[in-house]
Amino acid sequence: MMDGPAVDLRAVGKTYPGVELSLRGTKLETLGPALWVKNAIRAARLTIEAAPPVTALADVSLTVAPGEVLGVLGPNGSGKTTLIKILAGLIRPSAGSGSVVGYPLGSSDAIRRRVSYVSTTGWMGLEWALSARDNLRFFAELSGMSPALARTRTDEVLGALDLTDDAYKLTSELSNGMRQRLIMARALLWRTPLVLLDEPFVGLDPGHRQALSDYIRRELPARGQTVVISDHQAEVVESVADRVLILDKGRVRALGTVAHIMQSLSGLIVLEVVTELSDTPVLSPPPLVRRVERRMRPGPLGLMHWRLTVEQGPSTFSAVLTWLSSAGGRIVEVEERRPGLQDVMADSTVLAAEGA
Amino acid sequence: MTTPASRRVARAVWRQTAALGAFTLREYRIWQSYRVNQIMWLTNIFVTTLLFFLMGRMLTAADAHLMGAAYGTNYMSFVVVGIAVNTFLFTNLADPYTRIQRSYFNGTMDLFLLSPMSIFMPLVGLMTKSLLDDYPRLFIVGAFGMLLFGAQFRFQFSLAALGFTILLLAAAFGIGAISASSFYLLNIKRGTEPVRFIVQQLLATLLAGTYYPITVLPRPLQWVACFIPHTYAFDALRRLLDPGANMGLPVLPVQRIVPWSPLTVDAVALGLMTAILLPLGFLLYGRGIEKARREGTLTRWQ
Ligand SMILES: Nc1ncnc2c1ncn2[C@@H]1O[C@H](COP(=O)(O)OP(=O)(O)O)[C@@H](O)[C@H]1O
Ligand SMILES: [Mg+2]
Repeated sequence: MMDGPAVDLRAVGKTYPGVELSLRGTKLETLGPALWVKNAIRAARLTIEAAPPVTALADVSLTVAPGEVLGVLGPNGSGKTTLIKILAGLIRPSAGSGSVVGYPLGSSDAIRRRVSYVSTTGWMGLEWALSARDNLRFFAELSGMSPALARTRTDEVLGALDLTDDAYKLTSELSNGMRQRLIMARALLWRTPLVLLDEPFVGLDPGHRQALSDYIRRELPARGQTVVISDHQAEVVESVADRVLILDKGRVRALGTVAHIMQSLSGLIVLEVVTELSDTPVLSPPPLVRRVERRMRPGPLGLMHWRLTVEQGPSTFSAVLTWLSSAGGRIVEVEERRPGLQDVMADSTVLAAEGA
Repeated sequence: MTTPASRRVARAVWRQTAALGAFTLREYRIWQSYRVNQIMWLTNIFVTTLLFFLMGRMLTAADAHLMGAAYGTNYMSFVVVGIAVNTFLFTNLADPYTRIQRSYFNGTMDLFLLSPMSIFMPLVGLMTKSLLDDYPRLFIVGAFGMLLFGAQFRFQFSLAALGFTILLLAAAFGIGAISASSFYLLNIKRGTEPVRFIVQQLLATLLAGTYYPITVLPRPLQWVACFIPHTYAFDALRRLLDPGANMGLPVLPVQRIVPWSPLTVDAVALGLMTAILLPLGFLLYGRGIEKARREGTLTRWQ
């Protein structure tokens, strides 16, 4: 067992080479020679059509203690998958350093036998011609697990993910949600020190989502397994994680316990306001309004939906009303609520004043 | 107490063996799971055989003289060896790329790369399908051919023939591994892979001599043919298996200038190709994986 942190990243960044725009007449590429020419041109760095490099992750520093569940929250494209693949050793970072399960990033041989990884995006790496059970057995045997242990673990994880009744069905006969539980089950076979789960809840029904989340919380930390789990939905991450890392365009926007992040939101409220549409230009909002999000509400009436994050105070409401009315449309509906992680994710600047 | 080093080696060997076993078992289970498959499999082999032999019969009368003196008298046997060698080679040469590609796109590559097995194991393990499916097919083709269509082989040199078969499979797998490495090294994720295209589709189809001995080709092309393993495998196996074949008569240009027996030339050439191509294939494949790790193209992105 390692003594230090399970994950320790210092100023890690990843920049992907730009995905080049395809040559005109893409069809040619499938014939081969055009693709070879293109690759040769690219190798010689002669290409003029190269897209700019994409910075998927920048300056991420982070430690995760053994047995901790870290949630990674961020919208699509915020760098969650890149971060998780770096931790798995599937991608080398282009900047920074760090260690995973006690081994420096880059020692992929040592790291890969100590991590489990689940990716639910795209194909799931299942053998469609095999039953759920045979799939698990195949992957257990691949890692050199003894047949007896493979059998025990297979039964156990099938049970844990409510798949016992479907164990002998072919993968092609399972529903999508079942397949997703099957790949979760596969990741739980090994009991590696670090478990990496990339959006494992996407597409699960609420019952199974809850059950899976409970199972992760209850079993994994108790065995000393560290979990890094990503999602783009705040409530999912909130319910499972000890601490949350919020990513925004590859940068860390917040890192801490849910309570800690919520605390930095204290003194703020979110107003959901519906107004009539009007052509009058909107004046700039009063200073106590931290953030404005506005979109047309679909429907025949032509209404505007405002989501305002505002500082709470005695004059807040009247100031907001005055400002909104100056735009000409009448106010139809007002609702207030406490801000949550979802609001931080949508716009991290709401935290700016607290220096988070 | 065992020294930790030797125990580590033993564990590593056990792990790789277990992984190879798992691959084989998986292929068997998949093969077995398609019940219809097995009937289709036999039907398919029967039809293939029939096709070879009808073709052979048609050509026998007209073109038998083209075979020359070295490869015996039965054109059917000549063609069967040609097609068998081609199929063997095709499997080992062209399949690695396809299998690596498939496991990349269906997401199993991620898992292979994260399991304790060596990064090379998927390359080798995915080929166990050939042991179950492709190689046995050839023996059945041979059996059908002999039983039903009058092909003839002699078996007193079976052991030598087996030796050559193993050499040719190894050399072809070397090229296969090089071809698979371009999946990562050259980032050719779809479309035509150049190594495979050049060796199999271009050189082998034109020059290797599946249906005719290469002596019908212009001399310069005969020399080009000496750069692919097919040529030597055809030569050796025809001499060993075809009735009435001659062991001493040189046919390939190399055999004419080197003072060894033709079979020695074949063995040395195939051995050299294996010794160079196999390590090169693994080296390039490993390089490719490292490059892909750096660039972020190792596993599927979208
Ligand atoms: N292999 C790649 N090549 C080029 N760009 C990539 C690659 N993988 C991811 N990206 C880009 O990096 C950014 C972060 O992607 P990702 O880590 O997948 O985010 P998330 O998982 O949060 O949706 C995105 O802009 C994405 O388009
Ligand atoms: Mg993602």
